[in-house]
Amino acid sequence: MTDAFSSNSEAVLQRGVDVTSRRDTPSEDIEEQYQIRKTCDFINHNGFQKVALQFPDEVLVDSVPIAIELERHTSAKLFILGDTSYGSCCVDEVAAEHVGADCIVHYGRTCLSPTTRLPLLYVFQRRPVDLEKCAAAFRDLYPDTQSHVVVLYDVNYAHIIDDLQALLAPDYPNMVTSTLLLDHCHGNREQPSEGPEDPSESDREDGCRVVRQFGRRLVLKAGLGLQDYAVYFIGPEGAALRNFMMTWNRCLFSTFQPSTATGCAESLSVNRALMKRYYSIERAKDAAVVGILVGTLGVADYLAIIQQLKETIRRAGKKSYMFAMGKLNVAKLANFLEIDVFVLIACPENSLLDSSDFYKPVVTPFEMEVACNHNREWSNDYVTDFRSLLPGGQSHVALANEQEAGEETDVSLITGALRKQGLSCEEAAVPSTEPSSLVLRNQSLTVANTNSAAGFLAGRSWQGLERKLGETPVVKAVEGRRGIAIAYEGEGKSS
Amino acid sequence: MKPRFLVYFWYLRHTEGDYVNFTVDQIRAIMDKKANIRNMSVIAHVDHGKSTLTDSLVSKAGIIAGARAGETRFTDTRKDEQERCITIKSTAISLFYELSENDMAFIKQGINGSGFLINLIDSPGHVDFSSEVTAALRVTDGALVVVDCVSGVCVQTETVLRQAIAERIKPVLMMNKMDRALLELQLEPERLYQTFQRIIESVNVIISTYGEEDGGPMGNIFIDPVIGTVGFGSGLHGWAFTLKQFAEMFISRYAAKGNTTMTSEERCKKVEDMMKKLWGDRFFDPETNKFHKTANGPKGKLSRTFVHLILEPIYKMFDAIMHFKKEEAASMLEKLDIKLDSEDKEKEGKPLLKAVMRRWLPAGEALLQMITIHLPSPVTAQKYRCELLYEGPGDDEAAMGIKNCDSSAPLMMYISKMVPTTDKGRFYAFGRVFSGTVSTGLKVRIMGPNFTPGKKEDLYTKQIQRTILMMGRYVEPIEDVPCGNIVGLVGVDQFLVKTGTITTYEQAHNMRVMKFSVSPVVRVAVEAKNPSDLPKLVEGLKRLAKSDPMVQCIIEESGEHIVAGAGELHLEICLKDLEEDHACIPLKKSDPVVSYRETVSEESNQMCLSKSPNKHNRLFMKARPFPEGLAEDIEKGDVTARQELKLRARYLVDKYEWDATDARKIWCFGPDGTGPNLLVDVTKGVQYLNEIKDSVVAGFQWASKEGVLCEENMRAIRYDVHDVSLHTDAIHRGGGQIIPTARRALYACQLTAEPRLMEPVYLVEVQCPESVVGGIYGVLNRRRGHVFEECHVMGTPIFVVKAYLPVNESFGFTADLRSNTGGQAFPQCVFDHWQVMPGDPKDGSSKPFTIVTDIRKRKGIKEGIPALDHFLDKM
Repeated sequence: MTDAFSSNSEAVLQRGVDVTSRRDTPSEDIEEQYQIRKTCDFINHNGFQKVALQFPDEVLVDSVPIAIELERHTSAKLFILGDTSYGSCCVDEVAAEHVGADCIVHYGRTCLSPTTRLPLLYVFQRRPVDLEKCAAAFRDLYPDTQSHVVVLYDVNYAHIIDDLQALLAPDYPNMVTSTLLLDHCHGNREQPSEGPEDPSESDREDGCRVVRQFGRRLVLKAGLGLQDYAVYFIGPEGAALRNFMMTWNRCLFSTFQPSTATGCAESLSVNRALMKRYYSIERAKDAAVVGILVGTLGVADYLAIIQQLKETIRRAGKKSYMFAMGKLNVAKLANFLEIDVFVLIACPENSLLDSSDFYKPVVTPFEMEVACNHNREWSNDYVTDFRSLLPGGQSHVALANEQEAGEETDVSLITGALRKQGLSCEEAAVPSTEPSSLVLRNQSLTVANTNSAAGFLAGRSWQGLERKLGETPVVKAVEGRRGIAIAYEGEGKSS
Repeated sequence: MKPRFLVYFWYLRHTEGDYVNFTVDQIRAIMDKKANIRNMSVIAHVDHGKSTLTDSLVSKAGIIAGARAGETRFTDTRKDEQERCITIKSTAISLFYELSENDMAFIKQGINGSGFLINLIDSPGHVDFSSEVTAALRVTDGALVVVDCVSGVCVQTETVLRQAIAERIKPVLMMNKMDRALLELQLEPERLYQTFQRIIESVNVIISTYGEEDGGPMGNIFIDPVIGTVGFGSGLHGWAFTLKQFAEMFISRYAAKGNTTMTSEERCKKVEDMMKKLWGDRFFDPETNKFHKTANGPKGKLSRTFVHLILEPIYKMFDAIMHFKKEEAASMLEKLDIKLDSEDKEKEGKPLLKAVMRRWLPAGEALLQMITIHLPSPVTAQKYRCELLYEGPGDDEAAMGIKNCDSSAPLMMYISKMVPTTDKGRFYAFGRVFSGTVSTGLKVRIMGPNFTPGKKEDLYTKQIQRTILMMGRYVEPIEDVPCGNIVGLVGVDQFLVKTGTITTYEQAHNMRVMKFSVSPVVRVAVEAKNPSDLPKLVEGLKRLAKSDPMVQCIIEESGEHIVAGAGELHLEICLKDLEEDHACIPLKKSDPVVSYRETVSEESNQMCLSKSPNKHNRLFMKARPFPEGLAEDIEKGDVTARQELKLRARYLVDKYEWDATDARKIWCFGPDGTGPNLLVDVTKGVQYLNEIKDSVVAGFQWASKEGVLCEENMRAIRYDVHDVSLHTDAIHRGGGQIIPTARRALYACQLTAEPRLMEPVYLVEVQCPESVVGGIYGVLNRRRGHVFEECHVMGTPIFVVKAYLPVNESFGFTADLRSNTGGQAFPQCVFDHWQVMPGDPKDGSSKPFTIVTDIRKRKGIKEGIPALDHFLDKM
């Protein structure tokens, strides 16, 4: 009978998941690729009893051999976490807490977003890369040995970076390699994690500039800024690269693809991508109702940014609702017709969502602030990391004063209509926390219309159950089709 | 260069050479005499001499507020207007005119004293600026239609006249450039009469085509020289007359002979009778001084009265002066009692002719009489215009205030355009008070076009900072202004984009928005040369959007900033304003491109099924093209989303042979809820259908805004929902499941119904001498244009060629045409219709394919039209 309401449970088990499945890694490579020894040391040294192993979907095939291997060398109880609620690049602390784990070992690619709750070890699956070709490609792309180049890489290729540095540094004195900032997550709780209060760009005493971005740290030559450098990125095209390109949009990027062992100058027009984001901002300015999508429960300070966004949105005279819905898809978001724009709070790599297929645009917290906060202007700086928007962060901007923002208007460049910015006087008078149970009613306005959600309902053609008393003729029940719409009984089996 | 100046000041020349200044208080006092106000616009085809004619009116009766009388600065206007010799923005000028006791008897509506305040708006004649004309028409009640009697009725004459009629604006006609007919073309008097007659007929044809039956509530609005609603003359030479002038001359001549004690009523009656004899098939026998109804007199052919009594003297005068027949001229001057200044007496030839004609038949006098006598006052006009102007019920306080032109009723004011101030970024709101009185400091409700009564959207309650009299860019503060007048407001510009309603009445509905005759089909992408200037560019675009009644400034999904206008010239002016006045930064501009529309040419070749993401819901749909004309009907507003259901259904059944049940089950129009595509429910007995209607409609709005070919708007497609199967559990058929599915199904329908691309097409009218007609054909052929009408203007060497030309091919057309015709052909292009482009956009070798590819590239969408199996599911 359950079949009447949902699909057959068998179907779920048989359904294929859209993951490029790899063949199991040979057991002899496991030690090398997954750094079993290091992991064991980490567990034993800290005396962890319950350890959560988090695998991205594509590495799940290796999870069992790894767990077996680890179990042989440690006494801890191991849990394999699969199918993360959000992006697999982020550490799923909530899932780990379900089993009461003491620490998490995160496998595979990661966005290196700082976390707060549990000690953590990143194990980057070491991917093979042709060092010689990588260096050769570098020489090809930068014939001038005096070029100022920053070398960035996907975490999977961290293991070759010292060798590459050794290979190229003699010829290229102005080359700078980035190092991964892993200190904060090596399980030592006492060690202060890199909070937002740490400036991510600071000048050292010798005049060199230290840049911290997305878990990487680099030291620039004295007197030079990032815009003076070109960037050489080792790794496939993906979220990490896109993220850097958007943030450092004044740098020229070139990439080395380890799979094909070729290097090329990145032609993807960042400007174009930025302009597309600008369009979303204009949509966000038009919106009256904003949905805050909680896309992470792990990245530090996510609660603080939600709070800040709520206030920013309220001050802009818009209404906000909060949603936690795990992984996003078109169908989930389209269920909320009354929302005009969504703002996604996630790690930097997952924030840049291409929302062209979505019914309503999805923007980043930075974009939402540009749309709502007078003091923040759209400029060349593009921020994907929401932590830098928080007080103390490098791009924090105070909220515009309520008085000066009140009742300003502006022409929308999408609809061509006028839109209100800021709270109108009466809205500002009522703090958001106070329930507005009493509203003045004038002759023409009904009270319900002051509420945007009620206004939306009033605009719908279908507002709930239609009883249609007396309108429906009485007929005898007839036998209908059996089964569900996915394939009714007796229909073509070809679906 | 033709003499051009826009007057920024009010000055009064009460009688020739005698300036009388008005203080603001005096002007304010005239404003109260509503029956003596005439709000009128001057409309015409480009180059038919509007502005020159306006100048002659202004020099007759313009008013200036006292203190400013000395500092007349005529030059202080838009530089580009002078350079190009065309009017770009409409300009308001106020005139004061006093009718003589005798003339007052001619007025058939209520009057209040002999002084008249005439608010005149000189509007641009170039088709690209038609939106300015629309804005001018809204605030006026009458129109002086100027027609060049040599070129006759042209495309823009028709366009603006049609609009005027639709707005219930009463027209009077001025047959301009008679000097050309006499001097250049040397037309025979009888031929000239025929030309006049033909022009009057074609104007009346336009009036009867677009007017209401029997003139509607306005009564008879046909123009007729016999009534005195047609003027003849030359704006350039400063002379004009109506039949009234000549009739009066004859009457006074007879009166001088006989009894001299005629009351003004008796005199009026006599003049009116006389006028009837001066036009048409009335012939004059000079022997007997009698009028006949046939040309056959007792002694051979008689000449027409108009020819004999009116044209002949004028011809003689021209002949005498231009051929230096001094004695003859002198005797004529004496006979006509024309006294020249000593200065004028020295003149010879053309200058003398001008001076004489001006004295004899002063243009200002004739036209101002025609305007005051025949154009309606606000009191008269608002009675019948109210139902067109006001969206609300016809008997609420606001409507009654408008109908009665009651200055003590609640305020109702329509803002028709925004005029930039010297203060950058701020605007005066320019408009007409239809009811009540607007005053400085008054607290008003400012309602934008999206306002609906009872809601707060697009509604602001603010104080008016200042009310001002506006003369072009020159302003004079005034305490308050009663209804029937045109006024500027300071301090409401922030709360309106282009137009809006200002009221003090809490239950007021909007005043109806203006419908433009042109649409913004040409577009240019702009970006700041220096990327960091982006905020300035955005700010500038927003100002530009306000300052022009029609320009569209938008951001496309690709992030490009688009400025869209009616034509190349319009865009050029807009971009110049943007660069120099609004944004003040250097700009990069793309080549102009046009917007396209996506449509279908067949019915879908299969039933299209799409399943929801959870596979539990199915939508079955089909697409088919509209019957011809329906899309235009929707755009015109004959078929609308807000129409009464049964009325609309009957219209569709009668005119387009729709199935009666289908016609009643239109779910929605799209895009934007009003566009020319329809979603129709043709299902039978489907459960929960109402529940998903909102979701399907949302998907339809989405899809019809961004078609599957290249994300352009759809046009003229009807989508039928044939069947729907839904999950029984409400949660599984929510918006999230249905919206994307509806969109996919609609795309599948579009792809299976032979999708086509539509491009905008201009109607081009070219006037040229016969010798270069061949060159025009050549240019048009190269540009995919085709000529559908070619005619010779009777009595002239001029040819008029009418053709259709794709807008996309029109860039540089003017220059191309000039170079191919030795500068002798001037085109006027006005958007006419959308045309399906031949060729399948899916076929790699077709032109639509190239266009689709280009658009997709420009918008940054994936290359190639998505395959059908993206959208179509199997059973």
